[in-house]
Amino acid sequence: MSRALARQRLDMALFLGPACLLLAFFFLAPVVVDVFLAFTDMGRNLTVTRFTTENFERMLSGDRRLPSVLLVTATYVLGTLAIFNLTYGLVLALVTTSMPEGAGAFFRAVWLLPRMSPSVVYALLWGWVVAPTDYGLLNQTLGAFGLPRIDVKSDAPVVLIILANGFIGASFGMIIFTSAIRSIPQHLFWAARADGASGLGIVRHVTLPAIRWQISFVTIYQALSLLVSFEYIWLITDGGPFYDTTVYALYVYQRAFGNGQYAYGAALALGLVLIGITAALVLWRLMDMKELLQRPRIEVT
Amino acid sequence: MSTAALPLADAPVDWHALAAQARFRRRLSTGLLYGAMALGALPVLVPYLWLVTVAFSGRTGATTFVLWRTLAVALPALVLASIVGLVIDDARRRRRGFLLIAAVTALILAFVAGPHLHLHNWRFLWNPDVADAMLGASGVGGKFPSVWTAFVNSLVLAGTQMALVVAVATLAGYYISRFAFSGRAVFLQGLLVLHAFPAMTLIIPIFLMMYWIGLQDTIAGVILVIAALELPFAIFVMKGFFDAVPWDIEMSAMTDGASRRQAFFHVVLPQVKVGMLAIAIFAFIRGWEEYVFVRTLLIAQENWTMSLYLFWTITDVMGVDYALVSAVGVFYVLPSVILYLLTQRYLTQMTFGGIKG
Repeated sequence: MSRALARQRLDMALFLGPACLLLAFFFLAPVVVDVFLAFTDMGRNLTVTRFTTENFERMLSGDRRLPSVLLVTATYVLGTLAIFNLTYGLVLALVTTSMPEGAGAFFRAVWLLPRMSPSVVYALLWGWVVAPTDYGLLNQTLGAFGLPRIDVKSDAPVVLIILANGFIGASFGMIIFTSAIRSIPQHLFWAARADGASGLGIVRHVTLPAIRWQISFVTIYQALSLLVSFEYIWLITDGGPFYDTTVYALYVYQRAFGNGQYAYGAALALGLVLIGITAALVLWRLMDMKELLQRPRIEVT
Repeated sequence: MSTAALPLADAPVDWHALAAQARFRRRLSTGLLYGAMALGALPVLVPYLWLVTVAFSGRTGATTFVLWRTLAVALPALVLASIVGLVIDDARRRRRGFLLIAAVTALILAFVAGPHLHLHNWRFLWNPDVADAMLGASGVGGKFPSVWTAFVNSLVLAGTQMALVVAVATLAGYYISRFAFSGRAVFLQGLLVLHAFPAMTLIIPIFLMMYWIGLQDTIAGVILVIAALELPFAIFVMKGFFDAVPWDIEMSAMTDGASRRQAFFHVVLPQVKVGMLAIAIFAFIRGWEEYVFVRTLLIAQENWTMSLYLFWTITDVMGVDYALVSAVGVFYVLPSVILYLLTQRYLTQMTFGGIKG
C-alpha cells in the first residue's frame, strides 16, 4: 500500500512537478517580489536600504505626469478595442466565413501576418510607412492623389499607435469569432433565410446573439492585453513625442528601466497586477460558462 | 404554337435565364466582397512587399519605384485571376488560366523589376563587420557581432524554449487529463487564471529575480522566463488533446501488462503528436520573435538575438543604409513566416480551453 502511494507521489512529481516549479517561480514569486519592492526604496544600484510608503504617496499625489498618462492609456485602449479588436475583428470573421473556404482562409492568413511577424520588423515597417519624408509610403500614396504631406508620428501619434496595435489586434477577435460562427448550426441561418431575413438581419438576430459570450471574452481579454502591452508603442514612438503616447505600461517600464526607479516602478506595476488578477478572475468566470466550454476550436493564439 | 396568346400565369418560365441572372448577381456580390477585402488587405501586405523589394533592389535608400512597378504588374494580374476564378467553373480550365496569368506576370515582372535586383544588401551574411565598417567613419566601430552569432542565439533561444515547453506541458497536460489528485480543481482554476494573466506586468520583479540568482544577461535565463510564460496556454492545449484520446487504448495497454508510464510513452503519446507539434510551433515562433524580455535581460553583444541585432541595425544604420536594414529584416522574418505557412494546417486542429472538469 505504501509502495503504491509512493509511486503515486513519484508520478505526480514527475508529471506535474516541472510545470509547478516553473509556474511558481515565474508567476507567483514575482507577484510577491513586486509587492515587497513597492514598499522599498530600490534605485539604480538595485539594493534596498529602507522600507517606505513613499512610492504610493508619490503615485497618488506627487506624480504630475500620471494623469495625462492615464488619459492616453484610456484613449488608446478604448480606441483600439472598439475600432479594431471588436468591430473590425467581427467584420473580418463575418466576411471570411461567408466566403468559400479557400478565399476566407487566405484573407485570414493575410491578417494574421502582422501577428506572426516579429515585433521589431513590424514596428520598422510602420516607421517607414508613416515616415514624414518623401520615402514614406503613406505620403507617396497621398501625393499620388494630390494630397499634402502629413507627419502622423508627430501630429497624430495616438492615431498611429491605435492603428499599429489594431492591425495586430483585429486577428485575435477574427479567429475567435470565426470559430464561434462556424459552430452555429446551419439550420438557423436557413430558417432565417426562409423567413425572409436580410443578410444584415441574420447577422443582427442570429449570429450576434449566438456569439455574445465570445464577444465578451474577446472584450475583456483584449482590453487586458492592450492595457499591459507596450512593445509596439515602445518600438514605434517610444512614448513620444514628449509623453503623448506614453501609456501606463510603458510608463512603468520607463520609470524602472529608464530612470532606475525600480521601487516606484514596482508600485506602479502593482496597479496593473491588481487589474490583471481581477480581469483574469472575471475571465475565469466567463470561461467557466458552458457556452464557452463547448465552443473552442481555434486556429491560432 | 404562339405562347404569347396564353394567359400570363401559364407563361413558361425561362428557368435558365433566371438561373443565369441569379448566378450573375451572386458573382457580382462575391466579386464586390472580394474587392473590398482585397482593398482592406493591401495596407497589411504592401509594407511587407516593400521590405522585400528594398532588400533585393535598394541602394542605401528605401526606394519605392520597384515596389510600385511590382504592384502595377501584380495587382492587375490578381484582379484578372479573381475574375477567372469567378467566371470559369471548370476546375481544370481554371487552373490553366491561373497558370497562364502567373507565367505572364512573372515574365513582365522579370522585365520591369529584374534589372534592378541585386544581392549587395545581403553582404551582412558573409561580411560580419558590415555595420561597423559603415559606422567606422562616425567612430562607433567594433560594436556589432556577426549576424550568425545572433542567428544561432535566436535559434538556441527559440529551440530550447520550445523543447522545454513541449516536454513540461505534455507531462502536465497528461497528468491533469488523466489523474484524480487532491487539489486538481484548484490547479486547473489557477491555470485558467494564469492563462489570462498578463505576464508582461511582472517584468520588473522578474528582472530583479534573474539578477539576484545570477541569470541576468544569460540566454538560459530568457529561455526559462519565456517558457514559463508560455506554459499555461500550452498545458491547456495539451490537456484538450489528451481529453480527446479515449481511455480504452490506455486501459488495454495496461491490461496487457504495461505500466502507467509505459502506456503513456508508447500508447498515448503517439496519439497527441499533432498537439505537441502545434504548441511546439507556437513556442518556437514566440521565442523567435521575442523582444521585450530579451531587450531587458540581455546586454552583452555576444548574447544578442536576431530581434536585438535588427533593432540595433535600425537604430545605428537607418540614416545611412535603409537597404541593409531591409535585408536584415527579411532575413529575420523569413523563418517564422515559412514555419507558419508550412504548419498552418496542423494549427487548425488545435482546441483551446476545452475544459471538461
